[in-house]
Amino acid sequence: MPPLHEQHFRAVENLIYEWARAVDEDRVEAICDLLAPDGRYTVASRFNHDRGLPLAIIDAHSAAQLRDRIKSMRIANIYEPHHYRHIISAVQITGEQQGSLVVRSNFLVVRTMDLDGDMKLYSTGQAQDLVDVSGTAPRFVQRKLVFDSRAVETLMVIPL
Amino acid sequence: MCPNPSGMQASIVQGPSKRSAQRQWPAGGVNRAPYWVYSDPAIYAQEQQSIFQGAHWHYLGLEDEVPEPGCYKTTWIGEQSVLLTRGEDGSLNAMLNRCAHRGNMVCREPFGSAKKLYCVYHAWSYKLNGDLSHAAFQHGLRGEGGLPKDFELSEHGLRKLRVGSICGLVFATFSEQTEPLEDWLGEVAAGIRRVCAKPLKVLGYDTQRIHANWKAYHENPRDSYHANILHTFYGTFGLSRQSQESGMVLDAAGRHVYFYTKAGTEKESGDYKQTASTLRSHNDDLKLEDPSILKWRDEFGDGVSVQILTTYPSFVLHQIANSLATRQLIPRGPGQSDLVWTYFGFADDDEATTRARLTQTNLVGSAGMVSVEDAAVCEMMRRATGDGSAGESFIEMGGRGLESGGNSKLSERAIRNFWHIYRQDLGL
Repeated sequence: MPPLHEQHFRAVENLIYEWARAVDEDRVEAICDLLAPDGRYTVASRFNHDRGLPLAIIDAHSAAQLRDRIKSMRIANIYEPHHYRHIISAVQITGEQQGSLVVRSNFLVVRTMDLDGDMKLYSTGQAQDLVDVSGTAPRFVQRKLVFDSRAVETLMVIPL
Repeated sequence: MCPNPSGMQASIVQGPSKRSAQRQWPAGGVNRAPYWVYSDPAIYAQEQQSIFQGAHWHYLGLEDEVPEPGCYKTTWIGEQSVLLTRGEDGSLNAMLNRCAHRGNMVCREPFGSAKKLYCVYHAWSYKLNGDLSHAAFQHGLRGEGGLPKDFELSEHGLRKLRVGSICGLVFATFSEQTEPLEDWLGEVAAGIRRVCAKPLKVLGYDTQRIHANWKAYHENPRDSYHANILHTFYGTFGLSRQSQESGMVLDAAGRHVYFYTKAGTEKESGDYKQTASTLRSHNDDLKLEDPSILKWRDEFGDGVSVQILTTYPSFVLHQIANSLATRQLIPRGPGQSDLVWTYFGFADDDEATTRARLTQTNLVGSAGMVSVEDAAVCEMMRRATGDGSAGESFIEMGGRGLESGGNSKLSERAIRNFWHIYRQDLGL
């Protein structure tokens, strides 16, 4: 592993875990502080990604837009209550781009419904991230979650 | 059989299934939907025959999805796997994706391109229009084996469907009885022509897997009553409100419907103010930090900010601000349906327009800030109605009949018309 990657690996890995833990512990708002103010957060299917189609089901062009989505989740949207559990693996720093680190990792999210306790393999895929390590704490400049199935189970209201 | 006091008769099914022959539609007729209709497996099987293979047009895709000769798309009508192809001569063709030999799936990929449709199992090879051109070893080898001498290639093609296209939207039908596409659409065709007046360009896809019967979803875009109550986003940000100038168009047969509404045309009224203050959907706490997502351009020049167009039994075309999409509903058993959203723009859209359309996708689809509720309520209805052995929907908003409610959005007229056509198709 190149020295630059070696030096920052733990911090980058921790950032990915921090995001997932905030979502899983129902502190979803906290993820907005892990994204640069003008950072981009995108959730798209492999189906579109592999075909070079630009459509994403979630596309926030700033931390503010992500905050708006989470606010909508909290006070506007109707859905059966549920939780996520992220299982993350294969975190790798694969390169550098425009002064940020290029990072790849796998995710699996299990969704558990509050009412009947039903569990489901809800989503799996790859996180394609750009992480800025120049500040006091690492932050996502870009977070793109590419999920493997062309289908979403029922709906996605909690961000992945 | 005793006629009920209102003059409507309860009908007893004369269908092929013994079990469904025991089913009696509630006396209310079109203003009731019995919950067993959403869960009975015999009814579901009958729908595949009578509706999905019946005298109706079913959406397959956009012409832009099969742009060049040789292009194909694998999709579904009901539970049948169907191919849409672009022939060498530029024609659109639809056929069953089922080899005429032993029933193998001919094309496996969602999209592809080929000079011939080739079944891998025994190398039966079809032209792009489904005609069988070659069956391996038809004449045997060295005088042994082979198909009978009277085997005719022309009798063993892929089963063909009739194809119709309007403004770049492609439909197909299994039945020779189906009237021409634009006749079948009737007055609702105007809503398609309004939106799809130029060549379309696909932006991407989203499949929403809904664990509910397909009819629960299909009723939803016909239900203008819920739109400004359930969907907080619409009401709070004025994209669509009950008090705005709006209208509804049904075709003469009542099969299809479209609703439209014009943002910024709110009329003040006492009863609206009273109801609105108690509605969830007027939530003053919901202020966006970045409201640019709601900026829309009146690209069709008529002030309509939202148009939702539904055709029987499983197609929707939406214009929501500058988001444009088709929605194809695919039944997957009585308790599940896949809703395939195909987002598009126009071939001549500039970058800023494309970017606006993509940003507004945040409002719709599987992760839509406006529309997630629709899948949620379908699933909750399924949970609450259980095996469907008791109970029925009460569908009297706007009145009790097929004309009741006129063109008001505060009406379930379009839902009553759906059940009218459905009962005709199923003989219920």
